[in-house]
Amino acid sequence: MAGRLPAVVIDNGTGYTKMGYAGNTEPQFIIPSAIAVKESASVGNKSISRLGKGVDDLDFFIGDEALNATSYAVKWPIRHGIVDDWDLMERFWEQAIFKYLRSEPEDHYFLLTEPPLNTPENREYTAEIMFESFNVPGLYIAVQAVLALAASWTSRQVGERTLTGTVIDSGDGVTHVIPVAEGYVIGSCIKHIPIAGRDITYFIQQLLREREVGIPPEQSLETAKAIKERFSYVCPDIAKEFAKYDQDPSKWMKRFEGINAVSKQKFGVDVGYERFLGPEIFFHPEFSNPDFTTPISEVVDNVIQQSPIDVRRGLYKNIVLSGGSTMFKDFGRKLQRDVKRVVDARLKISEEISQGRIKPKPIDVQVITHHMQRYAVWFGGSMLASTPEFYQVCHTKADYDEHGPSICRHNPVFGTMS
Amino acid sequence: MDVMSATLKPYLTAIRHTLEAAMCLENFNSQNVERHNKPEVEVKSSKELLLTPVVISRNEKEKVLIEGSINSLRISIAVKQSDEIEKILCHKFMRFMMMRAENFVVLRRKPVEGYDISFLITNFHTEQMFKHKLVDFIIHFMEEIDKEINEMKLAVNSRARLSAEEFLKRF
Amino acid sequence: MILLEIHNRIVVETLTAKIKNALEGNKPDTVDITVADFDGVLFHLSNPSEKSKIRVSISLHFYNDLKEHGANELIKREYAGMLTDTEDGYNVSVVFDLENIPSNWEEQVQKAGLLKRNCFASVFEKYFAFQQAGESGKERAVIHYREEETMYVAAQKDRVTVIFSTIFKDDDDVIIGKVFMQEFKEGRRNYQQAPQVLFSHKDPPSELQGTDARTGENIGYITFVLFPRHTAAAVKDNTINLIHTLRDYLHYHIKCSKAYIHTRMRAKTSDFLRVLNRARPEQEKEKKTMSGKTFKMS
Repeated sequence: MAGRLPAVVIDNGTGYTKMGYAGNTEPQFIIPSAIAVKESASVGNKSISRLGKGVDDLDFFIGDEALNATSYAVKWPIRHGIVDDWDLMERFWEQAIFKYLRSEPEDHYFLLTEPPLNTPENREYTAEIMFESFNVPGLYIAVQAVLALAASWTSRQVGERTLTGTVIDSGDGVTHVIPVAEGYVIGSCIKHIPIAGRDITYFIQQLLREREVGIPPEQSLETAKAIKERFSYVCPDIAKEFAKYDQDPSKWMKRFEGINAVSKQKFGVDVGYERFLGPEIFFHPEFSNPDFTTPISEVVDNVIQQSPIDVRRGLYKNIVLSGGSTMFKDFGRKLQRDVKRVVDARLKISEEISQGRIKPKPIDVQVITHHMQRYAVWFGGSMLASTPEFYQVCHTKADYDEHGPSICRHNPVFGTMS
Repeated sequence: MDVMSATLKPYLTAIRHTLEAAMCLENFNSQNVERHNKPEVEVKSSKELLLTPVVISRNEKEKVLIEGSINSLRISIAVKQSDEIEKILCHKFMRFMMMRAENFVVLRRKPVEGYDISFLITNFHTEQMFKHKLVDFIIHFMEEIDKEINEMKLAVNSRARLSAEEFLKRF
Repeated sequence: MILLEIHNRIVVETLTAKIKNALEGNKPDTVDITVADFDGVLFHLSNPSEKSKIRVSISLHFYNDLKEHGANELIKREYAGMLTDTEDGYNVSVVFDLENIPSNWEEQVQKAGLLKRNCFASVFEKYFAFQQAGESGKERAVIHYREEETMYVAAQKDRVTVIFSTIFKDDDDVIIGKVFMQEFKEGRRNYQQAPQVLFSHKDPPSELQGTDARTGENIGYITFVLFPRHTAAAVKDNTINLIHTLRDYLHYHIKCSKAYIHTRMRAKTSDFLRVLNRARPEQEKEKKTMSGKTFKMS
């Protein structure tokens, strides 16, 4: 029975949890990774008071229902991608499975995700919950970056499928640049960029605040977010772009219409330079963050240069985008151009130093843009979990019962052969 | 119940005294492998390094095996399990703790056969930690474990009752 | 959440989103979603021909069992006007036309979410009707609702007996399951209006003796004896809503109990660790001054 029903794929992120059944192109639920629990006022040992009486522990909500629940305390069990509170996480999964997905966990294989550099102990704890509480027949814990690589396969030929590449994962809070070689994350070379979706929104908000007076202050953030999502794009050259706007404003300026939530009256906003200036902070971080001034293209180049020399070409050739904040039009194109420039300049210098005796083979730089970028990690999981191979690499309940949780410390790479 | 609790105190006192005596450990180099120090109670390389094991039992099911040696001490506990639900709860709990043996330092990853949980204390432990507090820990563990398993059993029962009632009252 | 919901959340939410999108005048996009539900049920949401139509199909691997007990007729009655040609590999298909959204679309969407419940309902409705009509001696209905688990429904003059067999995949679950089934049996004392509940472990109850009902260490049988006060027309829907989820309800609560036990064990384990760590002498921490110099407390 388990082989016939689709596997369950759950991608627990710090902010949002994406979950659904394997084989679909989009997750069925995207909900905040929040859980609302009743908290007794009594002081004392927190872990003991949490136990409650009877079935009090079933009185909780997750996701949007948690954020809307009154007289409950909202908690976020995942911090920086890593599970922080296992009690709450277990209950989060409990409701995700039974209330949202409505799956009998005994009938479905499960694919869960983890951030790079997760600890093996955390994998054991996950396995303990999944196999002992929920009796899942099989479990696979995949690294998010590897799934993002797999997701990019949709845009290419079967022969070119590879699990070597550089993943740029940009969500709301932070952007990671993660080099992956043959399905294994090169942990020591991961870099974080303190610029992501939220920073772009703030930046646009700030630009609007200086110019537009019609926006109700309490709605300024959501207006900025809507403008970002609807109108923003990446331009090849800011100076030229400014000139373009000044020459023919009517062609480039857009108008955003909003409704005041209180007075129900319409307000309009002229959208100008912020269309291209917002995403530009990836390439010119000094616009918004005085403490961080390295453009994303340089970070990518640094990451690859730090990686082992034998995989560098592979990493340049397959730079994969993942997450909502990489969705801006032409983001990939500009990144590719900028990385290429850095790389070519370096090759040129080495050619000059050798006084023309060495002619380095040009390095192929490719940034992959594809349709599944927004939920790339979940989609990669959904795709892999619907292959027959998935069922072979999963850890099964029989294995678990025989050998214990330590089997889940390692999850073999698979999928490149298909 | 009164009879039961009346026997608990002398049981634990006997264990405490035996442990205090057995906690007398010293550094002892392996006689087989140069510059190695192995817990003799585990490797049992030579008879004269071992003390006679002591079994202290409260009744047929609850007992403690204390095995001493020159440089290490092994304590194995058989926890009370009066019915099958207590049995699985005990089993689950012990497995849960043993999975976290890394943090517990003195916890053995597998129990000695015939017992539910074993602790291994070596001279390195007693050099770095207070002996009397280690004894306190073992006693605390024994006091609490019965209570906890019992409470878990009651909790499972009351959950079962509540969920049955919630279902039935809706008819 | 104590009781399980009876509608399929994904079906309802997806349809609601698509219809709202259409009502706002946006273009419909392609739909192709396959999701599961309890008891091996599969739903498929797709566009049969053009994007403006959404077809919802359900597959129950035990639909043939249900068909013998009037599932087709019940579906025709409940989903009049919504039914469409049944999709290959599925048992029932209904369709929503985004260019022609009826005013009661919310009600229809809810109904689509209840497809599984309504398929199940047929067998209960049939036997409830037998009992209400005072007929008995009819053959027992056998529904293989899960691979190794079976439901038996039989009607007598004064009662309808529903027997579930269920498998506990994990050995420990058998024991927890027995505690639960025992409480179902006893829970009735406080709720006189509830049906009588019996359970047996390993062997089928006497009613099923001589049938192919399985025996085994990890098998449990739960018998619900429904009286006319449960099968009467006014209350029968409620009875069906409850009883068809019984198996999943039981297994859900066994799993929640195990999650609860985990919580307790985590709390107690950290308590034990605290006591053990008291045995460590407090380590002298190196303290730093403002300028970053270190010194030893003496």
